[in-house]
Amino acid sequence: MPLEIEGTLSRTGQSTDTAKASGARLELRNLSKAFGGVRAVDDISLDVPAGAFVSLLGPSGSGKTTTLNLIAGFLTADAGDILLDGRSVADVPSHKRNIGMVFQSYSLFPHMTVAENVAFPLRMRTKLSREEARRRVADMLALVQLSHLAARYPRQLSGGQQQRVAMARALVSHPRLLLMDEPLGALDKKLREQMQFEIKRIHRTVGTTVVYVTHDQSEALTMSDIVVVMHQSRIAQVGAPRALYDAPANLFVADFLGDSNLLPGTIVEAGSAGVLVEVAQGQRVKVTRAEKAPSVGSRAVVLIRPEDMSVHAGPTQSDGMDSLAGTVRDISYHGDSYKLDVAVGEHALKVRLARVSGNGVELGQRVVVAWRPDAARLLPAEDSGLGADGAQP
Amino acid sequence: MTALAPAMAAARPGLLSRPSTVPALLLLPCMIWIVFFFLLPLALMCWRSLASEGFSLAAYAVLFSSPLYGKVMGTTLKMASIATVCALVLAYPIAYVLTVAGGKLRGLILLFVLIPYWVDIIVRSFSWLIMLGDNGLINKTLIELGLLREPLPLLYNMFSVLIAMVQIVLPITIVTLFGAMLRIDRTLIAAAKIHGASEWQAFRTVFFPLSLPGVYGAGLLVFILAFGFYVTPALLGSPKETMIAQTIMIEASQLLDWAQASAAGAVLLAITTSIAAIYNRYFSLDRLWGGSEP
Amino acid sequence: MSATAGRIGLSAAVIAVIVYLIFPVVVVVAISFSAGNFLRFPPPGLSLRWYETIANDPEWISALWVSVRVGAISAAIATLLGVPAAFALTRYIIPGKSLLSALILCALVTPPIVTALSTYLFFVPLGLVNTIIGLSCAHAVSGMPFVVINTAASLRSADRNLERAAIVHGAHPLWAVMRITLPIISPGIVIGAIFAFVHSTHELLVATFVLGGVGKPVAVKIWSGVQATTDPTIAAASTILIGLAILTFASATATQALAKRRSA
Repeated sequence: MPLEIEGTLSRTGQSTDTAKASGARLELRNLSKAFGGVRAVDDISLDVPAGAFVSLLGPSGSGKTTTLNLIAGFLTADAGDILLDGRSVADVPSHKRNIGMVFQSYSLFPHMTVAENVAFPLRMRTKLSREEARRRVADMLALVQLSHLAARYPRQLSGGQQQRVAMARALVSHPRLLLMDEPLGALDKKLREQMQFEIKRIHRTVGTTVVYVTHDQSEALTMSDIVVVMHQSRIAQVGAPRALYDAPANLFVADFLGDSNLLPGTIVEAGSAGVLVEVAQGQRVKVTRAEKAPSVGSRAVVLIRPEDMSVHAGPTQSDGMDSLAGTVRDISYHGDSYKLDVAVGEHALKVRLARVSGNGVELGQRVVVAWRPDAARLLPAEDSGLGADGAQP
Repeated sequence: MTALAPAMAAARPGLLSRPSTVPALLLLPCMIWIVFFFLLPLALMCWRSLASEGFSLAAYAVLFSSPLYGKVMGTTLKMASIATVCALVLAYPIAYVLTVAGGKLRGLILLFVLIPYWVDIIVRSFSWLIMLGDNGLINKTLIELGLLREPLPLLYNMFSVLIAMVQIVLPITIVTLFGAMLRIDRTLIAAAKIHGASEWQAFRTVFFPLSLPGVYGAGLLVFILAFGFYVTPALLGSPKETMIAQTIMIEASQLLDWAQASAAGAVLLAITTSIAAIYNRYFSLDRLWGGSEP
Repeated sequence: MSATAGRIGLSAAVIAVIVYLIFPVVVVVAISFSAGNFLRFPPPGLSLRWYETIANDPEWISALWVSVRVGAISAAIATLLGVPAAFALTRYIIPGKSLLSALILCALVTPPIVTALSTYLFFVPLGLVNTIIGLSCAHAVSGMPFVVINTAASLRSADRNLERAAIVHGAHPLWAVMRITLPIISPGIVIGAIFAFVHSTHELLVATFVLGGVGKPVAVKIWSGVQATTDPTIAAASTILIGLAILTFASATATQALAKRRSA
């Protein structure tokens, strides 16, 4: 049955509004799955709007792959429900869910040509005529820019090409949901970045909803509309990449996304202008952006991103900048930037400086590390055994 | 989504979607067959060992009191133990070479190790008959070389039985040991060498201790196999080297004393099963199947 | 102890053991071509007379034919039952899996005399003694571990995602198993089946009890031959069995290669 976006695709693959509306709304409600007594997915609820690109991001063992397998139908949940466009699919077997999937090892059928691989879902799911099927396959191959390789076998293709064939295969039957299981894990850095771009382009063109599993936080931040950070079988936080980076809700997210300075301390003042946290003997840090009103005396953690910090030879003159004095313990060069390790009392602060600013800083130098108070964020303290310098053990 | 809607309406959790049904269905035929053609007969044999008319432990009484059975069991124990030790000693270097060898060499050696397997036990034992006789190859060669004046009595004694037994169990010993050795982390050897150990020292202090569990496992397995040998002692041994399998065979086929044979069989079964249980406890069979979901 | 001395010693040991393993096989095959009357090694001359003796002896021919039939049937049963069992054991979490796997592998560690005796006692009331099907059923039990272990090994190393890729894109799970996974693991299955076949052709004790009279398989005939005659007929018979095993293996490998080429 021809779908609306077909006409769009067969021309140039350019996106239109019609294309954007062809993704499914995905809901996970209280999803749980355990293996032999160990909870792999623990009461996960999620609402993905139609056509969004969602990343499931987390370290290994966080439950992201299990969640994906539950959505795909390879696993049956112990509790909870999965809904596509408002209808429950939890009891629908995998081959009837009408979704597409791309695997880390591509999983192209070795005994079929590229064209046959791409045609596979059409063969299984639809009763298209051979002409019609051929046309769809050609459209898909054009979309992933591999039309010239239609008659080759997977083993004759490079990793990046195989992954693109896998995408074509996943999309050929116009699924409203596309699942991707760490698809770029087997590729080298440069190729990965190219493929990230490709995937985003294809997503914009086709408009399907994408759920993308990765452990690489920069990949998730670059590609997604929504990032779901997972930790120990639960969702740590959900939001747009920028929101997660700027306003992490807890220690795990703050630490997992990007570099962070985490300074545990006690709240000594709380008012409308902000909060004052005592992080060490006599050293207090101002936090002007604190959403929840914390109580004086409670424990909290201050988060400051290394790139929000600057380094000065002496006490800074700028108004309203917070600062701490310390000694440079380590300098590492990253091509486009420097990362400094500054010992401030019992804390170690990570500072990231642009290449120009970093020139001239020396090991052992006494410096003042400064930042704007609105760059600091307040996080709830968790009994996670945070070390003295804010690092996780 | 047009294609999805009809699928929704049709979906209903059936019997096949219950998680435990599928594996049960897959295993059932196999299990039924084994229960019917293997376990049931064993149970029947144990039942028959309790005498044909009425309940009686007479057969077992004979087993434990008769000097004949005592002697045969002793011989069996002795032969199986010696064969196991010899097999382990000979198999170890081969298994080690297999572990460290590259693909081609390993394939070649494995081929040679497995070739004897294509020949049945009877004929392999039989070939020793030819070679060990007074006019056999070994004696003839030694005499021609001038090392001997008269042929050595190499046949129909413990030596002939053992040399054939070891040759027969050697392939499985090598393969089992090889499998165990493969699981040893070879980078540990490299670590030892970097820190000053010579090739021999690295082997002695790192590899060998780590291989010992594999040796014990292979040893248990080979012992069980050797314990039940029939053809080799029957063909190559004198009555002094009679092993328990031969005695049971005589009881059953010549004396037709089913109760007695069954009792001996039950005892033999008990012995090998307990050893196998020990093996299973320490060397889990689950490794054969790998991990399961996910 | 220098490394080279060790290496030389090791190589010597390997060669010595390999000679120890191979020599009897060489002896048997060589004697089967012996021109002489007695079991002498090295043989006095070469001749095919013992093979002719077998070819002209209806008893030998029928024994070989019995062995082939029993071997094939038992291997087939072992494969039909063992392959699904391997799937179950490698892919699912089952309560009591250790017990079940122990059960399947039981046959390997049970002394053959015990299996033979018990099977005979069981078969007599069932009327399965002196039947080809009876012996095949019994041999299927001991052939099963070979099939299960080899199939499981193949399953474990196969990429499960290929099957999943087919399923998620619309293939019925059963279709995916039959058309995607089974072809991939077929080498393992075939090797297991061949081992089961070879094991059956060599098996003596169960065969003696169940089919030891008229219509006995080759193994039983060889055994009675070994104790009675002194001519190399037995060696020829055994070499034929070896040839049979190799032939089965070769044809299986060839079929595999052919299938692979056809699907490519």
